[in-house]
Amino acid sequence: MATLQLNDIVKDFGGTQVIKGVDLEVKDREFVVFVGPSGCGKSTLMRMIAGLESTTSGEIAIDGQRVNEVGPADRGLAMVFQSYALYPHMTVEDNMGFSLRLAKVPRAERREKVLAAARILQLEPLLDRKPRALSGGQRQRVAIGRAIVRNPSIFLFDEPLSNLDAALRVQMRIELARLHEELDATMIYVTHDQIEAMTMADKIVVLQDGVVEQIGSPMELYHHPRNRFVAGFIGSPKMNFLEVEVRGADAEGVDVALPGGDCRVPVAGDGVSAGDTLTLGIRPEHLVLDEAGPLTGRIQVIERLGGVTSLYLEHGDSEWILVADGNVAHRVHDEVRFTFDPACAHLFTAEGLALAHLTRHPLADIDRKENRASFA
Amino acid sequence: MTASKRWLPLTFKIALLTLLLLWTLIPIIWMVLSSFKPNTIITADTPQVFFTPTLEHYVSLFSSGNSLWPYLLNSLFIAGTSTLIAVVLGCMAGFGLSRIRIKGKQHLAFWIISTRMAPIAAVIVPLYLLFRYLYLLDTHAGLIVAYLSFNLPFAIWLMTAFFDDLPPDLEEAAMIDGATKFQAFRHVVLPLMTPGLVTTAILCFIFAWNDYAFAQTFSGPSTQTIPIAAAQLLTQTGIDWGKLLAIGTIVVCPMAIAGLLVKRWLVQGLTLGAVK
Repeated sequence: MATLQLNDIVKDFGGTQVIKGVDLEVKDREFVVFVGPSGCGKSTLMRMIAGLESTTSGEIAIDGQRVNEVGPADRGLAMVFQSYALYPHMTVEDNMGFSLRLAKVPRAERREKVLAAARILQLEPLLDRKPRALSGGQRQRVAIGRAIVRNPSIFLFDEPLSNLDAALRVQMRIELARLHEELDATMIYVTHDQIEAMTMADKIVVLQDGVVEQIGSPMELYHHPRNRFVAGFIGSPKMNFLEVEVRGADAEGVDVALPGGDCRVPVAGDGVSAGDTLTLGIRPEHLVLDEAGPLTGRIQVIERLGGVTSLYLEHGDSEWILVADGNVAHRVHDEVRFTFDPACAHLFTAEGLALAHLTRHPLADIDRKENRASFA
Repeated sequence: MTASKRWLPLTFKIALLTLLLLWTLIPIIWMVLSSFKPNTIITADTPQVFFTPTLEHYVSLFSSGNSLWPYLLNSLFIAGTSTLIAVVLGCMAGFGLSRIRIKGKQHLAFWIISTRMAPIAAVIVPLYLLFRYLYLLDTHAGLIVAYLSFNLPFAIWLMTAFFDDLPPDLEEAAMIDGATKFQAFRHVVLPLMTPGLVTTAILCFIFAWNDYAFAQTFSGPSTQTIPIAAAQLLTQTGIDWGKLLAIGTIVVCPMAIAGLLVKRWLVQGLTLGAVK
């Protein structure tokens, strides 16, 4: 079992910094997800942890031991690649047992360990096949099996589900979460899919342009985004943003002008004064259709998903996305009125930083263990 | 309608390919056929397709005073050794060139292949002078070095292309599995490189096997190769057509078969299934 510390690590590729000083503490048995748009450096960061990329400056420590100079073979990690990277000339059994063969583990013991991992992943009937005779989902399982057999201190997953079709991805996501329960190991997972991040992580690390934007539990990121980027990145559909003018502000809240009248958002208003321009953020699922609501919009597009309906609204030059229940009877071009609970709204400064909410969301600090306890 | 649309270009393609095949194969087929003809038929005014085949030319090639055996062994040894060295060095250099991140890598790669671009005629005299100073004339080593000077850059270039096609994920996965760089190369990369290695080896071997110019210039009595033996049959007193055609057949046939093997390897996608 293992912990990982990143201390101000930097990666410089011939003059361009792709990782610009990342600090991170991964606790034992934690499931940490790196998430961010393409090119944000999340895969590079993982490859640095694995030892596949050198670290320009800063320190990487596993279990408190500096490993910067330790090669990938000796860091005791296992990695599942986006491409699976199965050895095409070896059978599934040989693929899974390769690390043991390198470690000169006797054949019988090797077989036993491979079988144990194959049992967890239901791979037993496939052990004699070559990778090319497997489906995408099966290859994925073999890649995970190979990692399990290695019995690593930390599991690394580099976008492991991105080559699977949607249905399989959901299935594998659940399987991975279950695997984490079963193996109870430290896992680091890279993805650009925020649903994967939200559903599996104990802790999400949001990256953009080689910088950590925020680290926190999924619910913390959802309810208390530190800045506009995180607010827009986490949550689907995306959060609505609207430029608003401040009417007045104090430590107890900020009054802002909305098209249908003023509204008091309960965030710390220190340093904000009347006349300032802020950005109001409100999630589509927090907008509520209301005949008497202060806001109006004309429906541009309706997406009916059955359980929920997404309405794409236009008002003047502002656009809103509103998620309503599945039984909304409105049609395209209807004019609707809507409102929201100011406690759910966020305010961002011109620099994109969020003003702190006065009360913390009750679920913001829940961790996986508590999640699990609620099922018991 | 669609059938005739497809049918027309197809017949055209077949006709074109047939023409090309005839153009390429007729001289070779004629050579192979004629090597089994008695001398009287070979030189007859009207070409003869039907005859009683004889092995007399082959028998006399290997039994007469000037046997072909030493030439054949020289050819095999020289071409084989130079190919082996070219493939081993080319494989390692190609791997390095494909994987290492350095500035101006393309320039380095281009410079290496550019050394292969000089025509043989341009290097043959300087090489002759060099070899004389180094006492490499009339030695096996001299010819091996001469063939290497052309085959090594070619092997490096070809192997680099093969390694470029192999995703680095595989070696990286091996290293994370606990392999050293060399173990990853040995257990994962090399087995997947078989098509590349075989292709490179056969192309290098063909170059050395078929060469006449280097062998004519650098070899002496003890190091002459098969093409030299063939040339020796063109004498001022006459040409021994039967033996000449038999030598031609011996030179061409193994290479033609090897060429077909290369084709099979070239087309095969062994990395299928490794990466999506």
